[in-house]
Amino acid sequence: MKIGIPQSLLYEYYYLFWKTYFEELGFEVVTTPPTTKGIIDKGVKLSVPEICVPIKVYIGHVATLLEEDVDYIFVPRFVSIKKGQFFCPKFMGLPDMLRYSIEGIEEKLLMPSISTKSDNIAEAFKDPKLFQGKLNIGMKDNKRAVEKAEKIWLDFRTNSKKGYSCKEAAEITVGNVGKEECVPLNKEEVNLTIGLIGYVYNVYDAFISMDIVNKLRNMGVSIKTFEMLEDDEINKELKDMSKTLFWTFSDKLLAAGYHFYKNEEVDGLIHVTAFGCGPDSMLGKLLELDSPLYNKPFMTVRIDEHSGENHLQTRIEAFVDMLKRKKINVQRGA
Amino acid sequence: MKVSFPYMGTTVVYKKLLELLGHEVIVPPKPSQRTINLGVKYSPEFACFPLKVIMGSYIEAIEKGAEVIITSGGHGPCRAGFYEKVHSKILQAENHDVEFIVFDSMFRNFKGFFRNIYRIKQNNSWYKVSQSLLFVYNMIKKLDILEKEVETIRAYEIRKGETTRAWEKIQDLFDKASTKKELEGAFNKGTQLLREIKQEKVHDSNKIRIGIVGEIYVVMEASINMKIEEILGSLGAEVERSQYLSQWINYNVTPKFINRTHEMEILKKGEKYIPIPIGGHAKQTVGHIVDFNERGFDGVIHLMPFACLPELVSQSIIPKITEELGIPVLTLAIDEQAGTANSLTRIEAFLDLIQGKKSKKIS
Ligand code: SF4
Ligand code: SF4
Repeated sequence: MKIGIPQSLLYEYYYLFWKTYFEELGFEVVTTPPTTKGIIDKGVKLSVPEICVPIKVYIGHVATLLEEDVDYIFVPRFVSIKKGQFFCPKFMGLPDMLRYSIEGIEEKLLMPSISTKSDNIAEAFKDPKLFQGKLNIGMKDNKRAVEKAEKIWLDFRTNSKKGYSCKEAAEITVGNVGKEECVPLNKEEVNLTIGLIGYVYNVYDAFISMDIVNKLRNMGVSIKTFEMLEDDEINKELKDMSKTLFWTFSDKLLAAGYHFYKNEEVDGLIHVTAFGCGPDSMLGKLLELDSPLYNKPFMTVRIDEHSGENHLQTRIEAFVDMLKRKKINVQRGA
Repeated sequence: MKVSFPYMGTTVVYKKLLELLGHEVIVPPKPSQRTINLGVKYSPEFACFPLKVIMGSYIEAIEKGAEVIITSGGHGPCRAGFYEKVHSKILQAENHDVEFIVFDSMFRNFKGFFRNIYRIKQNNSWYKVSQSLLFVYNMIKKLDILEKEVETIRAYEIRKGETTRAWEKIQDLFDKASTKKELEGAFNKGTQLLREIKQEKVHDSNKIRIGIVGEIYVVMEASINMKIEEILGSLGAEVERSQYLSQWINYNVTPKFINRTHEMEILKKGEKYIPIPIGGHAKQTVGHIVDFNERGFDGVIHLMPFACLPELVSQSIIPKITEELGIPVLTLAIDEQAGTANSLTRIEAFLDLIQGKKSKKIS
């Protein structure tokens, strides 16, 4: 039996968990290719016009799986991974948007509801009713599969926190590449470090973000992202705020932003956001307004369905140059 | 201290409560195009529309001299609860010196709630405070009763605009009342005023009833939803909203074990389409559509603020609901350009469609 997983939204963060889990249970896992123009176009056609770009992209990936010969499509309903906190409403209603807007898709959808106490979603998968009776999984097999998936995912997170990008961390975890072959993104000897604020589905989707990760690397800049931080570092920032955003990943970004502002290694912040994202426009504004307070430059890169690549390249170059100049000036002055 | 509050729906009640407690109240002007433009200018681009309008409303209140702004924190997984953080930071950056007092539901944050009450209570006794709260609650309930009548009568008035004028007068009467007796008087006078409006006789089978659903702020605030109720009324349709302030209070301010039946029922009706609460009023929106359909309404207007996260989910689902239940739904996006001729044409066309459907059924 084949289970399709869209390479979109939280894929970069949880893919290893999902893949290990299903494969351990004897299912074949199929994923969509990285986002292309064609995939986005499919998504645009199937969604309401005002919705944010990442959801359109996701719907495009689901439509792509529909054309393939898979038995099920895995569309988890992320509700909460932290007490008292929720996901952006579009995540919580994602399976509903799909099943009521694409005719006949519902029976194909696996829509487990994810409500856990932490990022570690293993707890949710222990529930045998998770797939509403669609998959026939024995209790014992399930237990084994969850344990294995959890272990691999935790390894992946450990590697992430060493400063590898999500993709690299995943490859290293499964042993496809050695650590030597990857450059950690926040390699210390590079003299410029940028805090890259953005959801995994924006930052690591090379089509959406026009591969900003490698663009910066090629300029010799090292990078820090939210998922490279320890949970404590994130939680500490959140504790200091009188009120947080309610949406877990948006909160992580906001917390990471303030952490980077305070972290001496970081020279400036780039916020990668997609067209139509409400939560981002709030947290972006807060970070932007506070940038002078910490004397660290802040730049927003906004991606839509048809941004121009050259334009982005120039803007990033200008920003990096400015940071370099600033740094040199400070060093001279000191 | 001069206090103000966000402009939403029947503002006379906020004003009343604060006045009863002896504050100098600055009522923000009714949102106008200027308010909206100010809000749009100072808010993040993809902030939802209500956040922007409230931003503009605060700026105007500050221009009128407000020093303290009282607002509800909101709750649940939507961003309403975070409004104040963004608003105050932006106002600060614009060098406006105001203080915010944020009320979260007293059953969520008991201590905070009473700390806030304490701050606005001044020298009043607790007895006076509770009496004032009760008074205002009664006022809201009475206003809601009259408003529901207004929404029906307006469709059949013979002299155009008469009902709306009466409604304005009623709000004014309530504004002047500050004792129980005066409140009773205002209510009776209001009932009287409405009874005097001459109405056309329309046969029941020809009556058109339209439900209005969507995010609470745009559903309740006529000045930003292009006065949708008046438009529909003038086109001969009876209107019922999904939200009234008294219901909102019942659900959000009173404890869980009482008074929640209505809202729970509505949520249940939405379950098939959106099984869990996803924030804002999306689940209520689909629940109310199902409910209006069951109650024989002829159509529903769905008001969706620009960039509203949860309503985008309901919008995605609505075509399917119409397909399954047959009730026509028109989604209107509410943004700084709402109220243009284009929206009006769409509303008229929608009513034509409904009328067409109806006469076909009869013949
Ligand atoms: S957080 Fe932003 S980008 Fe992500 S689903 Fe919500 S609105 Fe879209
Ligand atoms: S429900 Fe919609 S309009 Fe209301 S706060 Fe949330 S996003 Fe904004």
